[in-house]
Amino acid sequence: MSNGRVSLKKIVKRHGAFTALHGIDLDIEPGEFFALLGPSGSGKTTTLRIVAGLEEASEGRVFLDSTDITNTEPGDRDVAMVFQSYALYPHMNVRQNIAFPMRMVGMPKGEIDAAVQDAAKKVHIEHLLDRKPGQLSGGQQQRCALARAIVRKPRLFLLDEPLSNLDAKLRLETRGELKKLQRSLGVTTIYVTHDQEEAMTIADRMAVFMDGQIVQVGSPKFVFDNPATADVANFIGSPPMNLIPASYADGRIRIGAHELQTSCRVGGERNVIAGIRPSSVRIGPSGIPARIDLIENLGDALLLDLSLDQMTIRARTGTEVTSREGESVFFSADPTAVHLFDAVTRVRIND
Amino acid sequence: MKRSGIATASLLGVAGVFLTLWTFPVLWALLTSFKSERDVLAYPPTLIFTPTLGNYRDVLFGATTILPNLISSFVVATFTTVLTMLLAIPAAYALARLNLPGKRAGGFYILATQMLPPVGLIIPYFLFLQKIGWLDSYKGMTLIYLTFSLPFAIWLLVSYFEDIPREMEEAALIDRAGRMRAFLYVVLPQVRGGIAVTVIFVFLNAWNEFLFAVVLGGNNVRQVTVAMFNFISVEQTLWAKLAAAAIVTMAPVILLGLFAQRHIVKGLTVGAVKGGGRR
Ligand SMILES: Nc1ncnc2c1ncn2[C@@H]1O[C@H](COP(=O)(O)OP(=O)(O)O)[C@@H](O)[C@H]1O
Ligand SMILES: [Mg+2]
Repeated sequence: MSNGRVSLKKIVKRHGAFTALHGIDLDIEPGEFFALLGPSGSGKTTTLRIVAGLEEASEGRVFLDSTDITNTEPGDRDVAMVFQSYALYPHMNVRQNIAFPMRMVGMPKGEIDAAVQDAAKKVHIEHLLDRKPGQLSGGQQQRCALARAIVRKPRLFLLDEPLSNLDAKLRLETRGELKKLQRSLGVTTIYVTHDQEEAMTIADRMAVFMDGQIVQVGSPKFVFDNPATADVANFIGSPPMNLIPASYADGRIRIGAHELQTSCRVGGERNVIAGIRPSSVRIGPSGIPARIDLIENLGDALLLDLSLDQMTIRARTGTEVTSREGESVFFSADPTAVHLFDAVTRVRIND
Repeated sequence: MKRSGIATASLLGVAGVFLTLWTFPVLWALLTSFKSERDVLAYPPTLIFTPTLGNYRDVLFGATTILPNLISSFVVATFTTVLTMLLAIPAAYALARLNLPGKRAGGFYILATQMLPPVGLIIPYFLFLQKIGWLDSYKGMTLIYLTFSLPFAIWLLVSYFEDIPREMEEAALIDRAGRMRAFLYVVLPQVRGGIAVTVIFVFLNAWNEFLFAVVLGGNNVRQVTVAMFNFISVEQTLWAKLAAAAIVTMAPVILLGLFAQRHIVKGLTVGAVKGGGRR
């Protein structure tokens, strides 16, 4: 029975006059680790809460394995959720917290105990079962919340920024463990995050949210390589893609008085936004002249801020570049790595 | 950080003054309750006297026994408390959770009822109870006390409910508890401190109430505060008996206070330091 295919059909969510979601369509495959990625306020949590049944959609329908669950109570949807705040029950100890979902369906005590042990072991908190949530560190609370979610075999895991309250080091570790845990359980997982790197590393596929709409769905690699709009391009990748107002004609991009080669071929002449990832910017003996404003040494790479006609263009280069701040250099871009977006609609025009 | 000697001394001094002001009448009453009526009237007052338990005997088991009145008080206060809590808990929960229009205005109304001078309401209440034939009855007394205790209890409880994150209940809903069990298992246990405080305040208010008790009560329902008042009569005032009755009446109050001290202090500060930790 536990398949876990999720479909959202034209979900609209309004709060009074404000529309938080403008018609969300989404299909998530069984067993997939699916990220909802987007800037803060773009509607990710709202979408997740609609799937959980904690919030009602103003329009549209939610399906779980071809059952329409749009009006089903949260408890009858067979989903488990980890909240950003963890939402542990402070008056119960860890054991009671993890046991709670099973107690609620009247499972025999022996079975509950075994399941609690098993879940606690999977997230390495067997030794903390008798503590209250208030006596746990942030990371341990997070694991407790996770254990409470995995203790029953739900059809769907919903995780709302589960790592955002952890410090950077722990976040990296937990990210990997979460991924492994999801693989071993094989349960469809929807994972909300505003951190593009997190989504890129953890998700099988992701949906990019902007202003209550999904702008792109795809594997992290596909979205990174083929951002659907200039805004997606800007949001994904760190440092973000350079977006340069330019005009295009015949495989050549004109930026002010300068020219860049591109392998893109689109018809006619038009105004575009040229998108170049910092890692695709080449510093060399020829190209567009620019001045180095700032050099940041990352150890294994350099991050250069180049200024060109009031614009700042960021370049990520190898440490072999010996130029100094204030010097003038020439830059160009790998012709196959230039992205073109329409200057008005900001939608991608090359493929 | 170490406080200077002067600061500590003045703090102790001020605390001492207030403590004396507050405890002196109680100690005086305690002393008086063991005196004979003659010793009470001795002038100047004497600290050395032959202590007697006669007052307590009279007040508890004699002709002027207040035992029935203690029972009346207990019944009224208990009814009032139970009914208040049964109504206030769901009301406060709803007020804390729902985005009702006019919530703020309602909150102010609740506070405003606490500011009215009760004397102003005696005549309307008297006429009202007379009309429905509930004067001098337990149900009438309880009803009148409810009009004060309910708004107060709701107002006190709302801040406790508001302290509980909504997500915690949502987690329970997803964990298949359903609304009722989410409330009973997740919300209610977390506000038990607030409930204890409210129970104590409501009970004590009813227990100590005098004005309505004397006007709206009578022979059937004569609460202990009224019975005590009857020791003061036109011909003479039985100070020693009055003191003994007062001590007997105060005893449960003081015991309750000591027992629930921790809760009460927290209850008084909960509004002031919102979000300062529930535990
Ligand atoms: N109850 C609400 N009333 C009004 N606006 C809301 C409510 N809940 C969310 N919003 C708005 O909906 C938008 C999407 O919110 P949310 O889904 O929480 O964003 P995200 O999780 O992507 O940061 C935000 O602009 C937020 O302010
Ligand atoms: Mg969110």
